[in-house]
Amino acid sequence: MLRASLLIALGWVLAAGIAGLGHAFGLTLALPATSVILVCHLAFERERGVPAALAMAIILGYLEDLHQGMPTGVLALAYALVFLALRWLGARLAVAGQLVRGLTALIACAAADLLTWAILAALSGPLEISRDALAGGLRMIHWHALATMLAAPAVWGMIARLDALITRMGGVGARSATPPKPQLTWKRP
Amino acid sequence: MATPRTLRDLGLVILLLGIPVLLLRSAAQDPHHLSPFDRAVRRIGGPLEAGLGYAATTVGSFFERWLLQARLQEVNQELAGENRQLRLRLRELLRVEEENRELRRSLQMRDKVAEDMLAAEVTAFEQSPFFRVLKLELDRGDRYVRPGMAVLADTGVVGRIDRVADDRSDVMLITDPRSKVAVEVARTRAAGILEGVGEDACAVVVASETPAQVGDLIQTTGADDLFPKGHPVGQVVKVEELVGDQQRLSVLPAVRFDRLNMAWVILASAPAPDTMADQRQRPGAARGLQPLR
Repeated sequence: MLRASLLIALGWVLAAGIAGLGHAFGLTLALPATSVILVCHLAFERERGVPAALAMAIILGYLEDLHQGMPTGVLALAYALVFLALRWLGARLAVAGQLVRGLTALIACAAADLLTWAILAALSGPLEISRDALAGGLRMIHWHALATMLAAPAVWGMIARLDALITRMGGVGARSATPPKPQLTWKRP
Repeated sequence: MATPRTLRDLGLVILLLGIPVLLLRSAAQDPHHLSPFDRAVRRIGGPLEAGLGYAATTVGSFFERWLLQARLQEVNQELAGENRQLRLRLRELLRVEEENRELRRSLQMRDKVAEDMLAAEVTAFEQSPFFRVLKLELDRGDRYVRPGMAVLADTGVVGRIDRVADDRSDVMLITDPRSKVAVEVARTRAAGILEGVGEDACAVVVASETPAQVGDLIQTTGADDLFPKGHPVGQVVKVEELVGDQQRLSVLPAVRFDRLNMAWVILASAPAPDTMADQRQRPGAARGLQPLR
């Protein structure tokens, strides 16, 4: 529970921090989706059960919704779906090394953006969003994904440090020394 | 076959997916509505974002200042380098200006002095307790220069050539105890022999029929056939009355020997003035060069 809370706190701080940094330095470039990287981490770690990790992904999406000024639930749903897809892939693919992690973040970000676009496009009428404006956002997806890929090693490094800190503290929810029980649902068929 | 755990997880997943859907439905109904929970989260997130933004701004401004300082340092170094170059250039220009001034003085000297002269660069100024010697470097060697030749500067008499070796000569200054120059007081025309007394001073004994005064100008008479007539030698700084209607005048040389850079050696006396020059008819120009009449 402690680890989950700290991960969400990290995601929140990163989401707020990236926005703050973007504002402080007047960045006009696409900013990385740090929460997507955390969602990737949740999807590929095998220690947490799917419902718990999914709940964390939804919380991260919800926080991002509020920070980005999106209609509440858009990114929460998108992140939830991306998490499920990545979790399914995680049972079949091994993600190791900075480059592969970066590429995973890139794909996850692109997928999350596409899903977001699809959700917004579907709800463009009730949400009073112009479809042309959505099409313009679609052209920025690759830059957003690239920025996320570049930021991925740093965020993964922070997660690793957080894990090490929790392990040192030996608190409740710290990473167990014993290997986790196999998740039958996500076992390779 | 699905286990109860799998079924439970599946149910939880569907339930969890329902949350964002419900949130979306709520947002779609009223996009501008925020629930109390949303407001609470925003109340926490807003200051967090602002705080992080402020921290980033502070760090950024510090970093910017640091970068600016580094940039200013670079600019400063560039300017310092440029300044050094300009200083060198200025020094060079001053040297050229001084050289130009020397050359102008040289040309003026040639206008002032009718004698044939040879320019020489002063290379050293030896000052022993007994002798005052100036070292000259001549640009044409010792073929033209002989001991005893007069040496002048634009401001006055310097002395005489003492020794010559290759393209270097020693000049015995007028302040040297061995030096003797025929001079006169410019105002009274009272003549005498100027002798060096050392310590940058000379003395001359003259008749006191018309008494000399402090400040009188001493100049060469040309009687010794060495120095051109009327060239300044120095100024009277002290007058001593002697027995037998004579005055002993202490003379301060007109030339500052320690600051002398260039001197002229008088190679030959000026020819005697041609009294018939006006009466002599100029030969006519060659036919081909005459204007047509």
